Amino acid sequence: MTLPQPATAQPPRDAALIAAWQAGDEQAAAELVGRHARPLARFLAGAGAPEAELDDLVQDTFIRAFRSVDRFRGQCQFRTWLLTIGGNVLRDFGRRAVRRKVMPLDEGVHDAAGNPHEHAEASEAHTLLAAGLLRLSRLQREVFLLRAQQGLEYEEIAAALATTPGAARVHYHHAVRRLKEIVE
Amino acid sequence: MKYDSQLEELAKRLGADAADRLDVAATARKVVQRLKDQPVRRTTWLQQRWLRIAAALVIVLGGAVVASRLTPGRRPGVSAHLAHFVADDLSDLSTDQLRAVLSSFEDIVTSDSVAVPESNPDLRELDAQQLRAVLRSLEG
Repeated sequence: MTLPQPATAQPPRDAALIAAWQAGDEQAAAELVGRHARPLARFLAGAGAPEAELDDLVQDTFIRAFRSVDRFRGQCQFRTWLLTIGGNVLRDFGRRAVRRKVMPLDEGVHDAAGNPHEHAEASEAHTLLAAGLLRLSRLQREVFLLRAQQGLEYEEIAAALATTPGAARVHYHHAVRRLKEIVE
Repeated sequence: MKYDSQLEELAKRLGADAADRLDVAATARKVVQRLKDQPVRRTTWLQQRWLRIAAALVIVLGGAVVASRLTPGRRPGVSAHLAHFVADDLSDLSTDQLRAVLSSFEDIVTSDSVAVPESNPDLRELDAQQLRAVLRSLEG
């Protein structure tokens, strides 16, 4: 990979890696995956992705992102944009699952019954929270995860979801209120 | 659960174990390989674009057809009917228009010597009211 390195030897910014990928540098794509795959997986798992499908869903998200990276205008961070694409990929996966009637999304998620290791890790509150998230609207769920799980500011969330910071704040507070009722 | 912060702490750990178990290096390799194996399907994208354009055209043309059928003035039968009334209403015609209409009757009038007032042989000298009177007299 031949990326211009700043004098301070900081890792290249996402924008530089995106430009390198667009110029044909496959290693830049691999670097972006390495950088963002785990937060993306956390977001997808939190939003209801079954762990057995997590790797495929992460791959699908990156493939879709790289294919449409021309449309990324830097309105938000690359990771935030990636997470919103992940939300779309997960929604499509859920629709396919429902059509196949193999594994509805809300039953496949956090089903720790068959996995002793996962079962041991999942506290009751976590299980309730996961179940509660699935009862929220998609927008509320994503705003909640972007804010509470990923630690993003409302401005960043609003830019990614094409809404206003005020609206993002309202969605977040509605989500919190409902989740507290469910978890309690 | 009393505090939002407790919920946020809980949310931060949500999915963390599953994400930790992800083999990121392997995922990166698979993504790069898939990008190599599956070139961008530009044709599909273009097809979708053309499909959207065609759908938009159908909507616009269909809307125009419906609008033309719903607009009374554009119905063939009705428009002829309205035109008939407009032509009949002499009060809508200006002096010049009345003269033009009468001029077209001039040959008939002179040949039949029916209704041209003796005192006004030249139509250009008549005012609008007189012209209307002449035209009404021609209606019989």
